[in-house]
Amino acid sequence: MDYQNILTTCTYCGCGCNFFLEVLDGELTGTIPCKTSPVNEGKLCIKGWNVHEFVQSDKRLKRPMIRKNGNLEEVSWDEALDYTAARLKTVKAEKGSDAVGFFASAKVTCEENYLMQKFARAAVGTNSVDHCARL
Amino acid sequence: MLGFCGIEAERLRARWVSSAEAPEFVEEVNDFISALKQIGPSPLKKNTAQNVA
Amino acid sequence: MIEIVRQKAGELLNQGKIKGFIAPSRENGHVAPRLFTRVEELSTLNLGDSSSEGDARYPLDKILITLHRKYPDDCFGILVRGCDQRGLYTLYRLNQLNPDRVIEVGIACSPGLAKACECLKPFPDDAVAGDPVAPEGQKAVEMVEDMDMAGRFEFWMDQFSKCVKCYGCRDICPMCFCNECSLECKDLVSKGDLPVDIPVFHLVRAMHMADRCIDCGLCEEACPSDIPLRTLYKKTGRIMDEEFGFTSGINKHEKSPLSIMGPAPDKKGP
Repeated sequence: MDYQNILTTCTYCGCGCNFFLEVLDGELTGTIPCKTSPVNEGKLCIKGWNVHEFVQSDKRLKRPMIRKNGNLEEVSWDEALDYTAARLKTVKAEKGSDAVGFFASAKVTCEENYLMQKFARAAVGTNSVDHCARL
Repeated sequence: MLGFCGIEAERLRARWVSSAEAPEFVEEVNDFISALKQIGPSPLKKNTAQNVA
Repeated sequence: MIEIVRQKAGELLNQGKIKGFIAPSRENGHVAPRLFTRVEELSTLNLGDSSSEGDARYPLDKILITLHRKYPDDCFGILVRGCDQRGLYTLYRLNQLNPDRVIEVGIACSPGLAKACECLKPFPDDAVAGDPVAPEGQKAVEMVEDMDMAGRFEFWMDQFSKCVKCYGCRDICPMCFCNECSLECKDLVSKGDLPVDIPVFHLVRAMHMADRCIDCGLCEEACPSDIPLRTLYKKTGRIMDEEFGFTSGINKHEKSPLSIMGPAPDKKGP
Protein backbone atom coordinates (compact mmCIF):
# COMPACT_ATOMS: atom_id res chain seq x y z
CA MET A 1 0.00 0.00 0.00
CA ASP A 2 1.43 3.31 -1.07
CA TYR A 3 -0.62 6.46 -0.54
CA GLN A 4 1.00 9.81 -1.24
CA ASN A 5 -0.02 13.40 -1.77
CA ILE A 6 2.23 15.02 -4.34
CA LEU A 7 2.47 18.82 -4.29
CA THR A 8 2.34 20.23 -7.79
CA THR A 9 1.20 23.25 -9.80
CA CYS A 10 -1.85 23.40 -12.01
CA THR A 11 -1.08 23.30 -15.73
CA TYR A 12 -4.34 24.78 -16.90
CA CYS A 13 -3.60 28.49 -16.78
CA GLY A 14 -0.97 30.98 -15.74
CA CYS A 15 -2.27 31.53 -12.18
CA GLY A 16 -0.14 28.75 -10.77
CA CYS A 17 -2.50 27.25 -8.19
CA ASN A 18 -0.93 24.62 -6.00
CA PHE A 19 -2.60 21.35 -5.17
CA PHE A 20 -1.85 17.85 -4.02
CA LEU A 21 -2.44 14.94 -6.34
CA GLU A 22 -3.57 11.90 -4.39
CA VAL A 23 -1.70 8.83 -5.57
CA LEU A 24 -2.77 5.40 -4.35
CA ASP A 25 -0.53 2.57 -5.56
CA GLY A 26 0.65 4.56 -8.57
CA GLU A 27 -2.83 5.62 -9.64
CA LEU A 28 -4.21 9.15 -9.38
CA THR A 29 -7.36 9.15 -7.28
CA GLY A 30 -8.01 12.79 -6.50
CA THR A 31 -7.03 16.44 -6.22
CA ILE A 32 -6.80 18.36 -2.95
CA PRO A 33 -6.17 22.13 -3.11
CA CYS A 34 -3.20 23.28 -1.05
CA LYS A 35 -4.29 25.44 1.89
CA THR A 36 -0.83 26.81 2.57
CA SER A 37 -0.27 27.98 -1.00
CA PRO A 38 -0.18 31.79 -1.11
CA VAL A 39 -1.60 31.68 -4.64
CA ASN A 40 -4.89 29.84 -4.19
CA GLU A 41 -5.23 29.47 -0.40
CA GLY A 42 -7.05 26.15 -0.58
CA LYS A 43 -9.35 27.08 -3.45
CA LEU A 44 -9.49 25.85 -7.06
CA CYS A 45 -11.59 26.33 -10.18
CA ILE A 46 -13.52 23.51 -11.79
CA LYS A 47 -10.66 22.66 -14.14
CA GLY A 48 -8.14 22.43 -11.33
CA TRP A 49 -10.46 20.24 -9.29
CA ASN A 50 -10.53 17.68 -12.09
CA VAL A 51 -6.87 17.64 -13.08
CA HIS A 52 -6.41 14.05 -11.92
CA GLU A 53 -8.94 12.90 -14.52
CA PHE A 54 -7.11 14.05 -17.64
CA VAL A 55 -3.69 12.68 -16.70
CA GLN A 56 -4.74 9.06 -17.01
CA SER A 57 -7.54 9.57 -19.54
CA ASP A 58 -7.78 7.10 -22.43
CA LYS A 59 -8.72 9.98 -24.69
CA ARG A 60 -5.41 11.70 -24.15
CA LEU A 61 -3.27 12.20 -27.27
CA LYS A 62 0.18 10.76 -26.78
CA ARG A 63 1.57 10.76 -30.33
CA PRO A 64 1.22 13.16 -33.26
CA MET A 65 -1.55 12.28 -35.65
CA ILE A 66 -2.23 13.25 -39.27
CA ARG A 67 -5.55 12.86 -41.02
CA LYS A 68 -5.03 10.61 -44.01
CA ASN A 69 -7.96 9.74 -46.27
CA GLY A 70 -10.35 11.00 -43.61
CA ASN A 71 -8.85 8.96 -40.76
CA LEU A 72 -6.50 10.13 -38.04
CA GLU A 73 -3.33 8.03 -38.07
CA GLU A 74 -0.45 7.99 -35.62
CA VAL A 75 2.76 9.17 -37.23
CA SER A 76 6.34 9.84 -36.15
CA TRP A 77 7.37 13.28 -34.88
CA ASP A 78 9.60 13.72 -37.94
CA GLU A 79 6.75 13.10 -40.32
CA ALA A 80 4.42 15.37 -38.37
CA LEU A 81 6.92 18.24 -38.27
CA ASP A 82 7.80 17.87 -41.96
CA TYR A 83 4.12 17.87 -42.86
CA THR A 84 3.37 20.93 -40.70
CA ALA A 85 6.33 22.90 -42.05
CA ALA A 86 5.43 22.07 -45.62
CA ARG A 87 1.78 23.07 -45.16
CA LEU A 88 2.70 26.32 -43.39
CA LYS A 89 5.03 27.20 -46.29
CA THR A 90 2.41 26.34 -48.89
CA VAL A 91 -0.37 28.29 -47.19
CA LYS A 92 1.89 31.30 -46.69
CA ALA A 93 3.05 31.22 -50.33
CA GLU A 94 -0.43 30.80 -51.77
CA LYS A 95 -2.62 32.89 -49.46
CA GLY A 96 -0.18 35.20 -47.65
CA SER A 97 1.04 35.41 -44.05
CA ASP A 98 -2.29 36.47 -42.56
CA ALA A 99 -3.88 33.21 -43.65
CA VAL A 100 -2.02 31.60 -40.74
CA GLY A 101 -2.95 32.00 -37.08
CA PHE A 102 -1.20 30.83 -33.91
CA PHE A 103 -2.64 29.68 -30.61
CA ALA A 104 -0.39 29.89 -27.59
CA SER A 105 -0.93 27.62 -24.61
CA ALA A 106 -1.07 28.05 -20.86
CA LYS A 107 0.43 24.62 -20.44
CA VAL A 108 3.90 25.57 -21.64
CA THR A 109 6.47 27.98 -20.24
CA CYS A 110 6.75 31.73 -20.84
CA GLU A 111 9.87 31.15 -22.89
CA GLU A 112 8.16 28.67 -25.16
CA ASN A 113 5.26 31.06 -25.67
CA TYR A 114 7.75 33.84 -26.42
CA LEU A 115 9.39 31.64 -29.04
CA MET A 116 6.03 30.85 -30.58
CA GLN A 117 4.95 34.46 -31.03
CA LYS A 118 8.43 35.29 -32.31
CA PHE A 119 8.07 32.53 -34.86
CA ALA A 120 4.61 33.83 -35.81
CA ARG A 121 5.76 37.43 -36.24
CA ALA A 122 9.33 37.07 -37.50
CA ALA A 123 9.26 33.83 -39.47
CA VAL A 124 5.67 33.65 -40.73
CA GLY A 125 4.90 37.35 -40.60
CA THR A 126 1.49 37.54 -38.96
CA ASN A 127 0.12 39.24 -35.86
CA SER A 128 -2.62 36.62 -35.50
CA VAL A 129 -1.51 35.27 -32.15
CA ASP A 130 -4.00 34.29 -29.48
CA HIS A 131 -4.19 32.25 -26.34
CA CYS A 132 -6.06 29.12 -25.33
CA ALA A 133 -7.49 30.80 -22.22
CA ARG A 134 -9.61 33.00 -24.51
CA LEU A 135 -11.19 30.10 -26.35
CA MET B 1 -34.87 26.57 4.09
CA LEU B 2 -36.83 28.64 1.60
CA GLY B 3 -37.87 31.01 4.36
CA PHE B 4 -34.25 31.32 5.43
CA CYS B 5 -33.40 32.41 1.88
CA GLY B 6 -36.21 34.95 1.76
CA ILE B 7 -38.56 32.91 -0.44
CA GLU B 8 -42.12 32.31 0.78
CA ALA B 9 -42.32 28.74 2.08
CA GLU B 10 -45.91 28.51 0.77
CA ARG B 11 -44.49 28.23 -2.75
CA LEU B 12 -43.49 24.64 -2.10
CA ARG B 13 -45.88 21.85 -1.16
CA ALA B 14 -45.42 18.14 -0.75
CA ARG B 15 -48.60 16.04 -0.45
CA TRP B 16 -49.14 12.33 -0.62
CA VAL B 17 -51.98 11.55 -3.03
CA SER B 18 -52.66 8.04 -4.30
CA SER B 19 -53.01 7.46 -8.04
CA ALA B 20 -56.53 6.23 -7.28
CA GLU B 21 -57.53 9.55 -5.73
CA ALA B 22 -58.01 11.76 -8.76
CA PRO B 23 -60.49 14.19 -7.14
CA GLU B 24 -58.13 14.82 -4.21
CA PHE B 25 -55.33 15.52 -6.67
CA VAL B 26 -57.43 18.01 -8.64
CA GLU B 27 -58.54 19.72 -5.46
CA GLU B 28 -54.98 19.94 -4.19
CA VAL B 29 -53.67 21.44 -7.42
CA ASN B 30 -56.50 23.94 -7.64
CA ASP B 31 -55.97 24.92 -4.05
CA PHE B 32 -52.24 25.37 -4.65
CA ILE B 33 -52.90 27.47 -7.76
CA SER B 34 -55.23 29.82 -5.91
CA ALA B 35 -52.76 30.08 -3.03
CA LEU B 36 -49.97 30.91 -5.48
CA LYS B 37 -52.09 33.54 -7.20
CA GLN B 38 -52.60 35.21 -3.86
CA ILE B 39 -48.88 35.37 -3.16
CA GLY B 40 -48.16 36.80 -6.62
CA PRO B 41 -45.29 36.30 -9.04
CA SER B 42 -42.10 34.70 -7.80
CA PRO B 43 -39.06 36.89 -7.17
CA LEU B 44 -37.14 34.16 -8.99
CA LYS B 45 -38.90 34.55 -12.34
CA LYS B 46 -36.22 34.18 -14.99
CA ASN B 47 -35.90 37.88 -15.82
CA THR B 48 -35.65 38.75 -12.12
CA ALA B 49 -32.95 36.15 -11.61
CA GLN B 50 -30.98 37.61 -14.49
CA ASN B 51 -31.23 41.09 -13.05
CA VAL B 52 -29.86 39.88 -9.76
CA ALA B 53 -27.01 38.07 -11.49
CA MET C 1 -0.53 18.35 22.45
CA ILE C 2 1.29 17.26 19.30
CA GLU C 3 3.70 15.12 21.35
CA ILE C 4 0.81 13.14 22.84
CA VAL C 5 -0.63 12.50 19.37
CA ARG C 6 2.79 11.52 18.02
CA GLN C 7 3.31 9.12 20.90
CA LYS C 8 -0.15 7.58 20.53
CA ALA C 9 0.22 7.15 16.75
CA GLY C 10 3.68 5.67 17.25
CA GLU C 11 2.32 3.13 19.74
CA LEU C 12 -0.44 2.05 17.36
CA LEU C 13 2.05 1.64 14.50
CA ASN C 14 4.57 -0.20 16.68
CA GLN C 15 1.95 -2.59 18.00
CA GLY C 16 0.84 -3.29 14.42
CA LYS C 17 -2.72 -2.29 15.28
CA ILE C 18 -2.90 0.00 12.26
CA LYS C 19 -1.46 -0.11 8.73
CA GLY C 20 -1.11 3.64 8.64
CA PHE C 21 -2.00 6.86 10.45
CA ILE C 22 -3.80 9.61 8.53
CA ALA C 23 -2.90 13.12 9.65
CA PRO C 24 -1.50 16.36 8.26
CA SER C 25 2.24 16.62 7.84
CA ARG C 26 4.53 19.62 7.42
CA GLU C 27 6.76 19.11 4.40
CA ASN C 28 8.58 21.54 2.11
CA GLY C 29 7.02 24.49 3.90
CA HIS C 30 3.50 23.26 3.28
CA VAL C 31 1.02 21.32 5.39
CA ALA C 32 -0.25 18.28 3.52
CA PRO C 33 -2.45 15.34 4.43
CA ARG C 34 -0.37 12.19 4.70
CA LEU C 35 -0.55 8.49 5.46
CA PHE C 36 2.16 7.74 8.01
CA THR C 37 3.19 4.11 7.76
CA ARG C 38 6.42 4.14 9.81
CA VAL C 39 7.15 5.58 13.24
CA GLU C 40 10.19 7.54 11.98
CA GLU C 41 7.99 9.54 9.62
CA LEU C 42 5.96 10.95 12.53
CA SER C 43 8.55 13.71 13.10
CA THR C 44 6.76 15.80 10.44
CA LEU C 45 3.33 15.27 12.03
CA ASN C 46 1.17 18.38 12.18
CA LEU C 47 -2.29 19.02 13.59
CA GLY C 48 -3.58 21.05 10.66
CA ASP C 49 -2.00 24.24 11.95
CA SER C 50 0.13 26.28 9.58
CA SER C 51 0.38 29.90 10.74
CA SER C 52 -2.61 29.70 13.09
CA GLU C 53 -4.56 26.88 14.68
CA GLY C 54 -6.70 24.84 12.31
CA ASP C 55 -5.93 26.93 9.22
CA ALA C 56 -4.66 23.90 7.29
CA ARG C 57 -7.31 21.29 7.99
CA TYR C 58 -7.86 18.73 5.26
CA PRO C 59 -10.67 16.22 4.59
CA LEU C 60 -8.90 13.32 6.33
CA ASP C 61 -12.17 11.34 6.47
CA LYS C 62 -12.31 11.46 2.70
CA ILE C 63 -8.81 10.01 2.41
CA LEU C 64 -9.87 7.25 4.78
CA ILE C 65 -12.79 6.40 2.46
CA THR C 66 -10.39 6.15 -0.50
CA LEU C 67 -8.10 3.81 1.44
CA HIS C 68 -10.95 1.79 2.94
CA ARG C 69 -12.50 1.17 -0.48
CA LYS C 70 -9.28 -0.35 -1.77
CA TYR C 71 -8.14 -2.04 1.48
CA PRO C 72 -11.36 -2.91 3.34
CA ASP C 73 -9.65 -5.42 5.64
CA ASP C 74 -6.88 -3.14 6.87
CA CYS C 75 -7.18 -1.00 9.95
CA PHE C 76 -6.18 2.67 9.85
CA GLY C 77 -5.57 5.29 12.50
CA ILE C 78 -6.78 8.83 11.96
CA LEU C 79 -6.34 12.16 13.68
CA VAL C 80 -9.76 13.59 14.53
CA ARG C 81 -11.07 16.89 15.77
CA GLY C 82 -14.72 17.13 16.84
CA CYS C 83 -15.86 17.67 13.26
CA ASP C 84 -13.76 14.83 11.82
CA GLN C 85 -15.24 12.45 14.38
CA ARG C 86 -18.80 13.57 13.58
CA GLY C 87 -17.85 12.80 9.98
CA LEU C 88 -16.65 9.31 10.89
CA TYR C 89 -19.82 8.59 12.88
CA THR C 90 -21.93 9.72 9.92
CA LEU C 91 -19.88 7.62 7.49
CA TYR C 92 -20.28 4.57 9.77
CA ARG C 93 -24.02 5.21 9.76
CA LEU C 94 -24.08 5.44 5.96
CA ASN C 95 -22.05 2.25 5.57
CA GLN C 96 -19.10 3.98 3.94
CA LEU C 97 -16.63 2.97 6.65
CA ASN C 98 -16.34 0.05 9.02
CA PRO C 99 -15.88 1.25 12.62
CA ASP C 100 -13.93 -1.93 13.41
CA ARG C 101 -11.27 -0.88 10.90
CA VAL C 102 -10.75 2.65 12.24
CA ILE C 103 -8.89 3.84 15.33
CA GLU C 104 -9.53 7.48 16.16
CA VAL C 105 -6.97 9.65 17.89
CA GLY C 106 -8.89 12.69 19.04
CA ILE C 107 -7.82 16.22 19.90
CA ALA C 108 -10.01 18.98 21.30
CA CYS C 109 -9.97 22.39 19.63
CA SER C 110 -8.92 25.55 21.46
CA PRO C 111 -11.56 28.04 22.63
CA GLY C 112 -10.52 30.43 19.84
CA LEU C 113 -11.05 27.92 17.05
CA ALA C 114 -14.27 26.62 18.61
CA LYS C 115 -15.61 30.16 18.69
CA ALA C 116 -14.55 30.97 15.12
CA CYS C 117 -16.30 27.80 13.89
CA GLU C 118 -19.34 28.30 16.14
CA CYS C 119 -18.90 24.56 16.56
CA LEU C 120 -21.62 22.50 18.25
CA LYS C 121 -19.12 20.07 19.74
CA PRO C 122 -15.54 21.30 19.39
CA PHE C 123 -14.08 18.12 20.84
CA PRO C 124 -14.27 14.43 19.94
CA ASP C 125 -15.40 11.69 22.34
CA ASP C 126 -12.36 10.18 24.08
CA ALA C 127 -9.96 13.01 23.19
CA VAL C 128 -6.36 12.12 24.01
CA ALA C 129 -5.18 15.71 24.08
CA GLY C 130 -6.56 19.21 24.60
CA ASP C 131 -9.19 20.44 27.01
CA PRO C 132 -12.77 20.26 25.76
CA VAL C 133 -14.44 23.66 25.63
CA ALA C 134 -18.17 24.35 25.71
CA PRO C 135 -19.91 24.96 22.38
CA GLU C 136 -20.60 28.51 21.23
CA GLY C 137 -23.84 30.01 19.94
CA GLN C 138 -24.63 30.34 16.24
CA LYS C 139 -24.48 34.04 15.53
CA ALA C 140 -24.09 33.64 11.76
CA VAL C 141 -27.47 31.92 11.41
CA GLU C 142 -29.13 34.41 13.74
CA MET C 143 -27.73 37.31 11.75
CA VAL C 144 -29.64 36.11 8.68
CA GLU C 145 -32.74 35.24 10.70
CA ASP C 146 -32.84 38.80 12.00
CA MET C 147 -33.35 40.10 8.45
CA ASP C 148 -36.83 40.46 6.95
CA MET C 149 -37.86 38.30 3.97
CA ALA C 150 -36.74 40.80 1.34
CA GLY C 151 -33.43 41.28 3.12
CA ARG C 152 -32.78 37.56 3.30
CA PHE C 153 -33.65 37.14 -0.36
CA GLU C 154 -31.32 39.91 -1.41
CA PHE C 155 -28.52 38.64 0.85
CA TRP C 156 -28.62 35.07 -0.43
CA MET C 157 -29.17 35.90 -4.09
CA ASP C 158 -26.19 38.26 -3.94
CA GLN C 159 -24.12 35.49 -2.39
CA PHE C 160 -25.31 32.72 -4.71
CA SER C 161 -24.80 34.79 -7.84
CA LYS C 162 -21.08 34.94 -7.05
CA CYS C 163 -20.86 31.18 -7.57
CA VAL C 164 -18.40 30.13 -10.28
CA LYS C 165 -19.70 26.56 -10.25
CA CYS C 166 -16.35 25.01 -9.41
CA TYR C 167 -18.08 22.20 -7.46
CA GLY C 168 -15.35 22.70 -4.85
CA CYS C 169 -17.89 22.59 -2.01
CA ARG C 170 -18.91 19.12 -3.13
CA ASP C 171 -15.45 17.90 -4.02
CA ILE C 172 -13.89 18.83 -0.66
CA CYS C 173 -16.88 17.57 1.36
CA PRO C 174 -16.07 14.42 3.36
CA MET C 175 -19.77 13.57 3.37
CA CYS C 176 -20.08 13.70 -0.44
CA PHE C 177 -19.24 10.19 -1.54
CA CYS C 178 -22.04 9.46 -4.06
CA ASN C 179 -21.10 8.05 -7.46
CA GLU C 180 -23.87 10.00 -9.10
CA CYS C 181 -24.50 13.56 -8.01
CA SER C 182 -27.75 15.50 -8.35
CA LEU C 183 -25.71 18.61 -9.05
CA GLU C 184 -24.66 16.99 -12.33
CA CYS C 185 -28.24 16.14 -13.28
CA LYS C 186 -29.01 18.37 -16.25
CA ASP C 187 -32.69 18.62 -15.31
CA LEU C 188 -31.75 20.37 -12.08
CA VAL C 189 -28.61 22.24 -13.04
CA SER C 190 -28.10 23.27 -16.66
CA LYS C 191 -24.72 22.45 -18.13
CA GLY C 192 -22.24 25.07 -19.25
CA ASP C 193 -24.19 28.07 -17.95
CA LEU C 194 -23.00 30.80 -15.64
CA PRO C 195 -24.23 32.16 -13.37
CA VAL C 196 -25.32 28.81 -12.07
CA ASP C 197 -29.07 28.21 -11.60
CA ILE C 198 -29.73 30.08 -8.39
CA PRO C 199 -30.93 29.25 -5.84
CA VAL C 200 -31.47 25.69 -7.12
CA PHE C 201 -27.82 24.64 -7.11
CA HIS C 202 -27.16 25.75 -3.54
CA LEU C 203 -30.49 24.66 -2.12
CA VAL C 204 -30.23 21.18 -3.68
CA ARG C 205 -26.89 20.78 -1.98
CA ALA C 206 -28.29 22.17 1.27
CA MET C 207 -31.14 19.65 1.16
CA HIS C 208 -28.76 16.77 0.59
CA MET C 209 -26.70 17.93 3.54
CA ALA C 210 -29.76 17.79 5.83
CA ASP C 211 -28.87 14.66 7.83
CA ARG C 212 -25.23 14.55 6.79
CA CYS C 213 -23.48 17.90 7.20
CA ILE C 214 -21.11 17.66 10.12
CA ASP C 215 -20.28 21.37 10.03
CA CYS C 216 -16.56 20.99 9.40
CA GLY C 217 -16.53 24.17 7.32
CA LEU C 218 -14.18 22.86 4.64
CA CYS C 219 -16.69 23.86 1.92
CA GLU C 220 -16.65 27.49 2.93
CA GLU C 221 -12.85 27.46 3.12
CA ALA C 222 -12.68 25.93 -0.37
CA CYS C 223 -15.13 28.40 -1.94
CA PRO C 224 -13.29 30.78 -4.27
CA SER C 225 -16.20 33.22 -4.07
CA ASP C 226 -16.43 33.24 -0.25
CA ILE C 227 -20.12 32.26 -0.20
CA PRO C 228 -21.13 31.69 3.47
CA LEU C 229 -22.04 28.05 2.79
CA ARG C 230 -21.44 27.07 6.36
CA THR C 231 -24.23 29.38 7.53
CA LEU C 232 -26.58 27.79 4.99
CA TYR C 233 -25.82 24.24 6.12
CA LYS C 234 -25.86 25.24 9.78
CA LYS C 235 -29.45 26.30 9.20
CA THR C 236 -30.35 22.90 7.67
CA GLY C 237 -28.74 21.26 10.68
CA ARG C 238 -30.75 23.48 12.98
CA ILE C 239 -34.01 22.55 11.25
CA MET C 240 -33.13 18.86 11.66
CA ASP C 241 -32.58 19.48 15.35
CA GLU C 242 -35.80 21.45 15.80
CA GLU C 243 -37.96 18.98 13.85
CA PHE C 244 -36.44 15.65 14.86
CA GLY C 245 -33.98 16.33 17.68
CA PHE C 246 -31.23 14.98 15.45
CA THR C 247 -27.74 16.35 14.91
CA SER C 248 -25.55 14.60 12.39
CA GLY C 249 -22.63 12.71 13.90
CA ILE C 250 -23.17 13.67 17.54
CA ASN C 251 -24.16 10.17 18.67
CA LYS C 252 -22.27 7.24 17.24
CA HIS C 253 -25.19 4.84 16.97
CA GLU C 254 -28.11 7.16 16.25
CA LYS C 255 -29.95 6.56 12.96
CA SER C 256 -31.08 9.42 10.77
CA PRO C 257 -34.79 10.25 11.14
CA LEU C 258 -34.83 10.64 7.33
CA SER C 259 -34.07 6.93 6.94
CA ILE C 260 -36.92 5.74 9.16
CA MET C 261 -40.18 4.74 7.46
CA GLY C 262 -43.43 5.18 9.31
CA PRO C 263 -45.29 7.85 11.26
CA ALA C 264 -43.50 11.07 12.09
CA PRO C 265 -41.58 10.83 15.37
CA ASP C 266 -42.42 13.18 18.20
CA LYS C 267 -40.73 16.53 18.01
CA LYS C 268 -37.54 16.93 20.02
CA GLY C 269 -36.88 13.24 19.62
CA PRO C 270 -36.88 10.38 22.09
